[in-house]
Amino acid sequence: MTGGRLLTFGLFVVFILITLAVTFWARANTRGKDDFYAGGRAFSGPQNGLALAGDYMSAASFLGIAGIIALSGYDGFLYSIGFLVAWLLTLLLVELMRNAGRFTMADVLSHRVRRQPRVRTAAVISTVTVSVFYLLAQMVGAGALVSLLLGLEGGTAKAVTIVVVGAMMIFYVSFGGMKGTTWVQIIKAVLLMAGTVVLTALVLGRFGFNISALLGAAQEASGRTGFLDPGNRFGRTVPGDPVGTLINKLDFISLALALVLGTAGLPHIVSRFFTVPDARAARTSVNWAIGLVGVFYLMTLALGFGATALVSPERIIAEDPSGNTAALQLAQVLGEAVAGPVGGDLLLAFIGAVAFATILAVVSGLVMASSTSLAHDYFGHVLMFGRPRESQEVAVARLSAFAIGLLAVVLAVVARNQNVAFLVALAFAMAASANLPAIVLSLFWKRFNSTGVVSGIYGGLGGSLLLVLLSPVVSGKVDPVTGGSLSLLPAGVDFHVFPMENPGLVSIPFGFLCAWLGTVLSTEKADQERYDDLSVRSLTGTGAHTPRQD
Amino acid sequence: MGGRHSYAGLAQDRRFRLLRTRFRRLAVSVVVSFLGWYFLYIILSAFARDFMARPAIGNINIAMLLGILQFVSTFFLAWRYTRYARRMLDPLSQQLREEAERQRAELDSIEQIMAERRRIETWTPERAGPAARGARHRRSYGETR
Repeated sequence: MTGGRLLTFGLFVVFILITLAVTFWARANTRGKDDFYAGGRAFSGPQNGLALAGDYMSAASFLGIAGIIALSGYDGFLYSIGFLVAWLLTLLLVELMRNAGRFTMADVLSHRVRRQPRVRTAAVISTVTVSVFYLLAQMVGAGALVSLLLGLEGGTAKAVTIVVVGAMMIFYVSFGGMKGTTWVQIIKAVLLMAGTVVLTALVLGRFGFNISALLGAAQEASGRTGFLDPGNRFGRTVPGDPVGTLINKLDFISLALALVLGTAGLPHIVSRFFTVPDARAARTSVNWAIGLVGVFYLMTLALGFGATALVSPERIIAEDPSGNTAALQLAQVLGEAVAGPVGGDLLLAFIGAVAFATILAVVSGLVMASSTSLAHDYFGHVLMFGRPRESQEVAVARLSAFAIGLLAVVLAVVARNQNVAFLVALAFAMAASANLPAIVLSLFWKRFNSTGVVSGIYGGLGGSLLLVLLSPVVSGKVDPVTGGSLSLLPAGVDFHVFPMENPGLVSIPFGFLCAWLGTVLSTEKADQERYDDLSVRSLTGTGAHTPRQD
Repeated sequence: MGGRHSYAGLAQDRRFRLLRTRFRRLAVSVVVSFLGWYFLYIILSAFARDFMARPAIGNINIAMLLGILQFVSTFFLAWRYTRYARRMLDPLSQQLREEAERQRAELDSIEQIMAERRRIETWTPERAGPAARGARHRRSYGETR
């Protein structure tokens, strides 16, 4: 191991030790369900805002977007915009959901319906499915990234990394619960913001704080015309094929739709609504998250274009063809410019540790959300009819964290050499198609009933999964030059029927349609009284769950 | 939700209806403006590429400028929403919440007094024996809240 890698490894260890200490502290201060699922509802708005931002800004956005901008220019920025704008929808829903729910999305959905267990079960299935897909993407990325940072090669190193990351996240969640997980998010968010601010300041400093000069240098280093214009990556024009071009453009709009509508239905974001004392604090936390996430994604511009200008696309592609290492290479170049090779190693080690913290925090948030849903909704409400012993339910939650973590580790080890980046966009599309219709219609549509919730969730979830299965992501996409497969399955296998890679444009309206059809076709009548009760509770905060007073 | 109290009665209150109308109007206006502006931008990026590629300031082209404006508009809308909610929604919802919770507390205390009275009226020496205490203990053991 070289000195730089030893330093990287040392910083990983420091981060792990600090978060372990926090987890032990959280364990000692966790007594019941409210503590385990919602951190005692005692986090302030700004704290929860940091944690929300921590949950949201994944390695895919930090390293991934910087890489896409570095290699594809302007089009990478479109991800940043979609990821931010989506928070306005979250801002509109957060207070209502905080008021009406207790720990999970299913609490909100089941409040007014007649057949609670069916609705809870559907919500659990959707929560766990979305979380596991998202987890899988993060874990496979973690394997590749960490072994790269530590200079380890080959599949075994990746597998070992995945197991270590998995063990850490299971420990954070099953031991520290929401208190531990939230503090891990807060630490990570502070680290990530600090790291990004340092890199951005150094990049801008190199160009005399002149953004136009930075863009000009990036354009020049990219070696192609139109690097700063739309169309390098998304909605690409296929020469001589207007239909193909149109499909590419619709595919791009489909992605944009999923990004902007998915956020408010992501399980690990929703479960964070309940960690604050009341709806006002929840609103404050989303406002903080908007501020942090916005500033962060603006800085991805400097990171991405900075990497193009200062590292050069050739060197980025040589390290990793998908560009995930661009931000790290940029850190090394910038550090070297400031303080020679030692400076380069130092800054690389720091940014590497930030990336590691980012991955660990996001995966723990996902495991937290899905184990809460399994224990509170499935065990507590479906199996035990809403009357479980509190200690029993928390034990089930700890066990579920272990089970889901294990599942994610096994899947990630199996898929460690696949390119699974599409799973992030798929998770957003599933959240937007299955969860969003159920949430919005539960809160605002008088006639919505159990059958509608259930058919909306299963329709949206199944629809988006099926469309991806039948899309070029899974089979039939062939490199025109080499003839090799660009899909998940090897070349020669081709059962793709659906032309787009992103299902959102079809699956989101389909989710709403299923929810509507389920409602109007069933003979079940909506419970008017409970709907009124839900409206009063969600809008006024009457009877909302407050922090325990003791 | 089990035997939880229903606040449905309040849904007919004039102030609640005003609150609901205000929230819905606000939500619709925010959603229409941000989704409309976002998709306008996305559609321009997909279908009006020559326009988007035009330089605006130095090397910053229209696409980049509009992209950064998306950030500005998001911050602006979040700020507008929060300000409106503080002025027009929060006072109303607070008033309704406090009233409903006061009523609820009164009902609860009346119920408690009535239950206590029933217990006193039906009290006999045999019923207060260890068996009854045991039953009460078992009941509280099964409580979840």
